Amino acid sequence: MVIQYKCPNCGADMSFDSESGHLSCPSCGRQDDIETFPEDNILRKFDPGEAKEYHCENCGAIILTEAETTATHCSFCGAAVLLADRLTGDLAPAKVIPFTISKEEAVAAFRKWTKNGRLTPRGFTSGDRIKKMTGMYVPFWLYDIDGKADVAALATRVRSYTRGDTIYTETDFYDVRREMDLSYLKVPADASEKMDDELMDKLEPYNYQELKDFRMPYLSGYLAEKYDYDDEALFSRVESKIVPYIDSYIGSTISGYSTVSYTNKQIQANKKNVYYTLFPVWMVYYDFENKEHTFAMNGQTGKVVGKPPISLFKVAAWFTGIAASAFAVMKVISFAVGGVFW
Amino acid sequence: MRELQVKWLLALCVLFIFIGVDGVTVSAAVDQRVYDNANLLNESEIAELEVVAAEHSEKHGTDFLFLTISDEEVFDIQDYMGDFFDAWAVENGQENAVLLSMNIATRDVYLAGFGTAETTLDNQRVDLVLDRILPEMQRGDYADAFHETVTTSSRYMEFRPGVNPESIFLKTWLHLAIALLLAGGVVGFMLYNSGGRVTTTPTTYFDDNNTRVTSKLDQFRNKTISRRKVPKKSSGGGGGFGGGGVTGGGRSFSGGGRKF
Ligand SMILES: [Zn+2]
Ligand SMILES: [Zn+2]
Repeated sequence: MVIQYKCPNCGADMSFDSESGHLSCPSCGRQDDIETFPEDNILRKFDPGEAKEYHCENCGAIILTEAETTATHCSFCGAAVLLADRLTGDLAPAKVIPFTISKEEAVAAFRKWTKNGRLTPRGFTSGDRIKKMTGMYVPFWLYDIDGKADVAALATRVRSYTRGDTIYTETDFYDVRREMDLSYLKVPADASEKMDDELMDKLEPYNYQELKDFRMPYLSGYLAEKYDYDDEALFSRVESKIVPYIDSYIGSTISGYSTVSYTNKQIQANKKNVYYTLFPVWMVYYDFENKEHTFAMNGQTGKVVGKPPISLFKVAAWFTGIAASAFAVMKVISFAVGGVFW
Repeated sequence: MRELQVKWLLALCVLFIFIGVDGVTVSAAVDQRVYDNANLLNESEIAELEVVAAEHSEKHGTDFLFLTISDEEVFDIQDYMGDFFDAWAVENGQENAVLLSMNIATRDVYLAGFGTAETTLDNQRVDLVLDRILPEMQRGDYADAFHETVTTSSRYMEFRPGVNPESIFLKTWLHLAIALLLAGGVVGFMLYNSGGRVTTTPTTYFDDNNTRVTSKLDQFRNKTISRRKVPKKSSGGGGGFGGGGVTGGGRSFSGGGRKF
């Protein structure tokens, strides 16, 4: 099933507007609330030959998609189309964070980011080689995690004091035990095979204040994909992600000691809830020195991640500059204190 | 017009003469700094030491003097060198001096700072100099020990009074090491973060309301006590003595002595 949102005024294809959070018409400018968009203007077309190919309602062209695609554009007329059967049933997202950064804002933010690149080559920092920018909803699983931890440790408290000409060092040993309930909410893991996990992790955090119940119109005008991995398959990845958080919490519950060495540490983490969620990401394809570099931008916060090219010259210049000025500062201080430079 | 020029020239000449005279007075008056009564140095060693001493004496306006004796009767080298300096100061009209005296018969060595050197080469610095020359003294390598006395004292006297000239915080190698480490750290951090920084923290997804410690135990088990003596400030080989004083002629000085 293909879904298109037709403008009640003029019949053009509407798409989601990141600024207003409404559906907006590119021809007449009409804005419609997503919740109250008239049912009559949602064009649902069931293709008999579905699963193999979808057709654009406007021009009848075949919509070229990959197996994961859930939202795209007609490559002939440009209409925003949603592939509804890939967004329903088991594949229906529970939540979505809509784009709040428009394409223009994304371009500006990316340019600014390249300009701030202190170690990137001069040509790169001019920031005008954006080849393509794609607004994309990336599938994530968000896990509410319940857990328990039971830790035992041997801790010491050391103090020193002097009586006469003897220094006493007293070490008190303690058996420490902590049991605790743990809870973490909406820990994300990206469920798309295509997306680099490390890159996606660095895009965090998203602001969950704007986490919305999923509605299809949010996807209109963007690319979107369905998940490749289900929540079971990704749970171990989320577990490994929160273990350092749990360790840090455990550490915070044992305080006031000189040393703590754990003798037993049992952590149990279970998923309580999972939410299939779409996060907004701007993918930036950037040409530099005949190579394409890919960057990702958080479509809600504007944070940019990705490996930029590194200029050895700038690295050397920063190194020399910092070393030389630190050396000079220390020399001035030692002159002020000792009266001698060398 | 011409008269004015001549006057200027004359004034300038007078000025130069004064500067010249002023610069020379300190050292010109002194023609001997090495008094090797015990004959521990040969001719060329003495000549070389005189040159080095003269050079550094001029630099600080403080004469570097050396006195060697070989006399078992002299119990207190401090008194002996005090008497020697009282006489020397009167004879040479110079009150600022660093004086290294040694008695080869009793194996005493004493380093003193008179006049301005009492502050520029205080007791602490005297001890540092002695630490450095003592191995050479023990080896009988007096020429090198004396040479090092001049260069090391002269070096220490460049530092602000009261500052420990051997303080690690004044060492160039430390400054260089810190500068390189700092630059390496900062640039490494920049490189590491060039691809975007991880900005999630342990509290990003933390649920305050449902995370809590449900049971807690801090049970004292046992204690151990270890004792050690308060470390004494160690002084270099051979017992130290002295620490400044006043000469028979009323000249106060900083100083320190050792057996070698
Ligand atoms: Zn319209
Ligand atoms: Zn079309």
